Amino acid sequence: MNIIRLVRSELRKLTSTKMPLAFLAVLAVMAGINAFAVIAGTDFDGSKAFIATEADQQSLMAFAANALAIAGLFGAIATAREYGHHTVVPTFLAEPRRHRAVLAQFGAIGVGGGVLGLVGAGLTAVAVAVALPATDFGFLVSTGNLTRVLAASMLAGAAGAILGAGIGMLVRNVGGAVTGVVLALLIAPPLVVQLASGTASWMPSVLANVVSGVGNDIDPTAAVAAIAVWAIVPAAAGLIAVQRRDVD
Amino acid sequence: MTPPTDHPVIIEHLTKRYGDHTVVDDLSFTVEPGRVTGFLGPNGSGKSTTMKMMLDLAKAHGGRATIGGQRYRDLADPARTVGAMIESDAFHPGRSGRNHLRILAEATGVPRRRVDEVLAEVGLTDAARRNAGGYSLGMRQRLGLAAALLGEPPVLILDEPGNGLDPEGIRTLRDRLRAQAAAGGTVFVSSHLLDEVEHLADDVVVINGGRLVAQGSLAELQQAASLVRTADADQLAAELEQAGASVEMHGPDSLVVRSMPIDEVGDRAFTAGVALHELSPRAGSLEELFLSWTTTPSVDREVTPS
Repeated sequence: MNIIRLVRSELRKLTSTKMPLAFLAVLAVMAGINAFAVIAGTDFDGSKAFIATEADQQSLMAFAANALAIAGLFGAIATAREYGHHTVVPTFLAEPRRHRAVLAQFGAIGVGGGVLGLVGAGLTAVAVAVALPATDFGFLVSTGNLTRVLAASMLAGAAGAILGAGIGMLVRNVGGAVTGVVLALLIAPPLVVQLASGTASWMPSVLANVVSGVGNDIDPTAAVAAIAVWAIVPAAAGLIAVQRRDVD
Repeated sequence: MTPPTDHPVIIEHLTKRYGDHTVVDDLSFTVEPGRVTGFLGPNGSGKSTTMKMMLDLAKAHGGRATIGGQRYRDLADPARTVGAMIESDAFHPGRSGRNHLRILAEATGVPRRRVDEVLAEVGLTDAARRNAGGYSLGMRQRLGLAAALLGEPPVLILDEPGNGLDPEGIRTLRDRLRAQAAAGGTVFVSSHLLDEVEHLADDVVVINGGRLVAQGSLAELQQAASLVRTADADQLAAELEQAGASVEMHGPDSLVVRSMPIDEVGDRAFTAGVALHELSPRAGSLEELFLSWTTTPSVDREVTPS
């Protein structure tokens, strides 16, 4: 069995329902909110200081933390619904060596998450660029920094989707998987930081900002590696669970 | 049409437990190529679990299932060797029937043109671009059947394929499965529709409570009963049941005896000093046999011609 065939098949699964459109609509709405913030938002002192420098604008466009969470939900829904709709049955009939089928799923969902992250960052950058002429400030972010924002968001999207996919495989229920992603990415990290303050630099949103170039808590390479660990741990747990369990 | 092949499905001492409950218990049988084998049993008897173990969707606690001598997961090209229909609603409701099949075709390396061919074969061409969630039960069954036939496999393992099909659909299914067997394919079909199995199957495997209760040629099984008429029906029934026969009272002086050759029935009556007024072979309907097999304690029954 050619793993490329399996990945292509999984990509078709992702693109043959309306789910990606729903996520793209969410990204468009978020970009619109950013544009509105640029046009109508002010700092506490009534100024537009939050878009006054390149660093401010880059920070506004840094979408990686959002990409992590949104793609996490995407990955969780994509895999959990496979169990809800029993489409995992033909999947494992086509490739009974389940680790290969699951790796293909991770590959396709990672690509999907990466695309979502890239599109999300791209739409946000475009929205900010389109909105800035309505203010006294121009577009100040350099091509290099813009590229970094886009790349970071793509990376975070891919990692988030794989993290979500692992949780979806573990939970096998869309509601539970979505809850799991929210817990893992949004609720648990601040609680963990309260219990162990030294862990703050290793939480997903902080790592995403470091990779985007709008945070310097740790070395960017270490941040990329840490984001990968955040994705790999639930993915590995999902893979093990799929290997061990019967298909209902 | 599938080329002739030799892919017997062999089940050896297959066992499956959920906690303390044994749902499939030391099950052994063979599904021969070139024949349609019906798989029968009451609800919860372990049929679906057995089929899932055949296809490596569920792990066995003991025994093994092989297809052409190999476990499903060891087959070089599993989905093009075995066409399976296990869950009739195994599709995303927001995806078209055609896309569902294209996904499977891509995963298994089946040419894309085969998708349209198989849609036509099951009569779903007109509905191919509609979302499968809007399909009727019969159309869903057809889509499941299309998925099983997609890779033109020599072996078909189908769980309740006739559910929800209209008479025309059932006839098409029957013709397709008969043709598959006639071409040397191996066809294993579970069903609750006993009339349909009676028309379709060459052989049957019957399980109850996870254990084998009967297997063999359907025609021979249907003949494998004896009608006995005697004034001492109660006494003879007790004697024969003690000897392992399945005995059913048919009126005050008549018995239908299964799982015992007719000669042995006569000999045991003679030994017991019971005078017989009639002893003759008796053909039974599949429904009658099924109820007899599944409402009496399970004893493995091979065909015992009268």
